[in-house]
Amino acid sequence: MSAEQHLTLRRRLLALLIAGVGAAAATAISFAMTVYEAANPKPVPVVAAGQPIDTGRWIITIRDARMGSTPPTGIKPFAPKKLLMVEFDLDNRSASTSNVFLRLFTIDPPVANLSPPTFYLARDKWIAGGLQPGMPERMIASWEWPSAVPQPQQLRLQIASQIYKRRDNLYGAPGWFDRDPVAVVALAVAPEAVATER
Amino acid sequence: MFRGFVAVAFGAAVLYGLQRTTPGYGEITSPIPVAGKPGQRVDATAFTIGIAKVHLVRAVTTKNVGRAGTFTTSGVWVLVEGAAEAKSESLTLMSAEWLGPNGIRYALSQRFSTVSGMLPAQRLEPGLPKPVLMAFEIPESQVSGGTLLVARSAWTPLEEQARIEMTGIKPDDIRPAAVLARGQGAVPWILSVE
Repeated sequence: MSAEQHLTLRRRLLALLIAGVGAAAATAISFAMTVYEAANPKPVPVVAAGQPIDTGRWIITIRDARMGSTPPTGIKPFAPKKLLMVEFDLDNRSASTSNVFLRLFTIDPPVANLSPPTFYLARDKWIAGGLQPGMPERMIASWEWPSAVPQPQQLRLQIASQIYKRRDNLYGAPGWFDRDPVAVVALAVAPEAVATER
Repeated sequence: MFRGFVAVAFGAAVLYGLQRTTPGYGEITSPIPVAGKPGQRVDATAFTIGIAKVHLVRAVTTKNVGRAGTFTTSGVWVLVEGAAEAKSESLTLMSAEWLGPNGIRYALSQRFSTVSGMLPAQRLEPGLPKPVLMAFEIPESQVSGGTLLVARSAWTPLEEQARIEMTGIKPDDIRPAAVLARGQGAVPWILSVE
């Protein structure tokens, strides 16, 4: 092996070494940042009731919460029930009609044995169908409150968010995908109004 | 050295171009359009549809059909009357959308889903044309320049889709109210616009 060949080999080894160290450092920094972010999550902002919240797919404004025994339809259920009702304004910001209300918000912390809420359209006083884009509506979410759980005085709602991907990672198809909660709304729950009941 | 750099740059440019211009899954599997006009038969392979009348109203009152009451909207109700027929096998047209001039699609309103004669409730048989009713809730700005999209399903890839350009519809034609009642004859509804 000549001296010249020796030099190129050393140069190559050096280049390989630098590239290797760089890649290793990048991996380590990225991993450490992920671990750090997971360990110190950003606090979710607390938003007052009545403030519009942009969740990506929707703009939601939580209005108020109340307990009651009559659902928004006005038809008293056969068996007496305790209902937790949350009124909110909802605006569909996507490009097509959507009825995916179930993932809008969750009660925080979760309540055991709570079945998913029913969504009503305030305008019709009836169960809501799909919401048309760009046409905001007043809606009411109604949970059947378990009798074993004491009735809440305060309610914390965690507002979920979604992002639009033009091409998803599996099929390359467009769609909406869940992201981290964007806001928490804390509001007082009005007790059931006995006086106005007939 | 320089030639190598040019080759890499050229390769990167070509790959970037390919990446940008590759159609997505949604575009590859998008519906196959069958163009048509209102007042004409629109012939797809599996079904035929024709649009007879379009009414624009602010509020719809229902009588003896579905849930009784007055249905208001923050925009405009578009009530479309027409007829549809299957061609080779029985089918139901589950999807109808109003494509506004801004590119936003407004699906059939589910607030009238219990009214008889609504498009998704009509089972179409080959050779037997049936009257169909469609109700859309759209903002006033989307009335003129709209396109009606009708298909067997909104989600099946490469589905045939009738695209009917709704010409001659303008916001001046908006009427205050309409009454939707039960029909007695072949048409299961009676629509009277005030």
